[in-house]
Amino acid sequence: MAQNARSHKASKVVERMGKKLNRQMVGSLVGCVHCGMCAESCHYVLANPDDPTYAPAYKADQIRKIFKRNFDWTGKIFPWWVHAQDVRTDEDLEKLKDIVFGKCTNCRRCSLNCPMGVDFATLNRMARGLLVSVGVMPEGVAVVSKDQWEVGNQMGVLPQDYLETLEWLSDELENEFKDTAARIPIDKMDADVVYAINPREVKYDPRTISDAARIFYIAGENWTMPSEGWDMTNFGLFSGDDELGGVVAQRVYEKVIELRGKRLVLSECGHGYRSTRCEGPNWSGNGVPPFVIESSVLTMLRYIKEGRIRVDKEKNKAAVTFHDSCNNARSCGFYEEPRELLNLLVTDFREMYPNRAENFCCTGGGGAMSMSEYTPQRLKSAIIKADQLKATGVKVVVTSCHNCVDGLTDVIRHYKLGMKVTQLVNLTANALVIPERVVVPVEVQIPFVTLPLQGFKILVVDDEPDILTFLAAVLEDQGATVIQAADGEQALALTIQEKPDLMTLDLSMPGKNGGYVFEEIRNNPEIASTKVCIITGKPELRRLIYERPVAPPEGYLDKPVNEDTLLTSIRMILELKHPHGHA
Amino acid sequence: MSESLRFVSDDLQLMALSFMAIVYIFRIRWLLKFKASRERQAPSGGTGTSSFKGIVYSWANIAMPWSMESTRRMSFFYLQFVVFHLAVAANIGMSFVIPYAPGLMKPMIIVRLLQILFAAACAIGCYRMYRRLSNPAIRLISTPDDFFSLALLTGWSFASIFAAMNRPDLGEGPLMVYFIMTAFFLVYVPFSKISHYLYYPFTRFYFGRTMGHRGVYPVKRVTQPKPTHI
Repeated sequence: MAQNARSHKASKVVERMGKKLNRQMVGSLVGCVHCGMCAESCHYVLANPDDPTYAPAYKADQIRKIFKRNFDWTGKIFPWWVHAQDVRTDEDLEKLKDIVFGKCTNCRRCSLNCPMGVDFATLNRMARGLLVSVGVMPEGVAVVSKDQWEVGNQMGVLPQDYLETLEWLSDELENEFKDTAARIPIDKMDADVVYAINPREVKYDPRTISDAARIFYIAGENWTMPSEGWDMTNFGLFSGDDELGGVVAQRVYEKVIELRGKRLVLSECGHGYRSTRCEGPNWSGNGVPPFVIESSVLTMLRYIKEGRIRVDKEKNKAAVTFHDSCNNARSCGFYEEPRELLNLLVTDFREMYPNRAENFCCTGGGGAMSMSEYTPQRLKSAIIKADQLKATGVKVVVTSCHNCVDGLTDVIRHYKLGMKVTQLVNLTANALVIPERVVVPVEVQIPFVTLPLQGFKILVVDDEPDILTFLAAVLEDQGATVIQAADGEQALALTIQEKPDLMTLDLSMPGKNGGYVFEEIRNNPEIASTKVCIITGKPELRRLIYERPVAPPEGYLDKPVNEDTLLTSIRMILELKHPHGHA
Repeated sequence: MSESLRFVSDDLQLMALSFMAIVYIFRIRWLLKFKASRERQAPSGGTGTSSFKGIVYSWANIAMPWSMESTRRMSFFYLQFVVFHLAVAANIGMSFVIPYAPGLMKPMIIVRLLQILFAAACAIGCYRMYRRLSNPAIRLISTPDDFFSLALLTGWSFASIFAAMNRPDLGEGPLMVYFIMTAFFLVYVPFSKISHYLYYPFTRFYFGRTMGHRGVYPVKRVTQPKPTHI
């Protein structure tokens, strides 16, 4: 009877729950005594003291009640006595979706604080996986999962774009060191190090790749980057889809095996490290891969200890604090090595409290950054993180996770903390002592004959005069001819009239907003090929751009944007291989 | 001692205990039917960690209030937990001592200490009931079973205060009530949240094994000032 009353999706969820349950999960489902000790370990609860539905025990009960009604004897016989309840309709599933995706970042802090050892994060992930299996998930999760299934990486970076970026970065490196060997080797066989990265680095932060390349080069490492299987991130961790998790991890492992690599080094990404280093062998079911897997933090630390690179901490004089990624610290015990490295790189390191396995989530974990519908509640709960950051009294936060970089940047911007987020690879590269055999950097050796952006016409569009002035000044300093527009109408008119090589486009503007302008440009054959770099302070609008039925923008930057990031991005879009001319 | 009191303090208890044991056997068999997941990856974390250490740390966790932020911060709540559970353990012990080794409870000091413990447990039970009703977050997650289990243990502790005297010559009422409640308790427990102690070794074992293998357990802490934001 009960089964017949369920919707098709609800039936599938219950059926699959039965298959997915393991002893640990069942222990966590039956072991909760509703003592409430978990509540104050959750940043959502602390930031929303008047809303009891954020309590981890309550959230777990939404999964537990389905389990009890269908798999546990007391719940089957006396459902009302233990609050057992079946899931019946698609609306029930939607409500569950809003809880497991929107009210928890799977940070595992409550699990660590439960006297009974109830691992709510594992239950939550299981529930996510069940919902994903019937297509009930936030749109962002669907988009990212699709990209990772179909394109091979979670940001949909095409092979050509990936390889061109590495090529471009190699040119820069070669130019910097005046050494033809100073390049990023692709698919080199028998390398000692195979370096896998987060696609975010290709798309938004190529500087971290070039910093890592610089370190490998100076260390004299026999290294390579794979042409495929290079994405060490894994959305299966966030979506709860073990199948996706296994396939993605296996893709990376197989490429390393194919290249006969000895060591897989993972760039700084918390969930990537956890997925590839810790969970991948569990999901793929193939056991420990036949090579060492380590974080690049460990690699850099080893280089310093072995004297393969030398660093000068005086180059990083700003006071810094360190944010432990939940996945690194709370799920992989990776928290001392980053500190050891950090102490070699900076002169003033100040701990954040609480820290290590007890640190608070950046609030962007568990895939939260891709679920724009939950952004307001995420940012509200981020007050806990903001206070924690503020209490350190520093202006630079170091983290070893790309997701945390985005999450913390959002927190810092929202709460106007005026802080900067950076990673250990950036600090290491900055502190590098360049050995004499390496030619000094190009900016000292080779004077610019022409300015890098000379000959390019760039339209900057933003309704905020300060930003408009900043963008124009930076681009003009590099030789570009800059045209300015303060709203959508003006932007469209100037694009048609001036035919710029590139436009930077703000999204949130009065009148015709950036999304509308972007689509108009793409739909007008006369100007459709205009290169567009979105610059927005509202990352939640990202999907509105990428989901439009037109070609995507060539670049995307989050505000606040600094000079380096802006120029790197602009040069990438304009395909400038060298800083002093056209490609 | 009347035949009725002898029956409720002996035969009835044995029947209730047997019932509880049978149900627990089924319960553990049911739990073990679910496959245990494995940690296939190479161990991670520091050199001072391992699966074994993680399991031991996890099991001992409850006796180390400093090991979790929740118990560090809610020290009064933790103290209540200790007293309440000690009282329950003493109460279970007393249900065996009275019929089978009454001599152990002859010294008045033991009786008084037990009575103080049971009275404290009773007071804690009342406070916990108040907390469960007054705290919106706790009320929201509380099931009828949670309320009934707490009421049952509180009432049982209250009955124990009088039963601890073990003076049937002054009237068998307190002992009758105590043993009937004990028998009911034994029969009800396997179906209630009170049987969390049955699951504790399992949940803590697996969580400890995972966290130990990954180098999270034992948790490393550095001395830190009290967070101002909480």
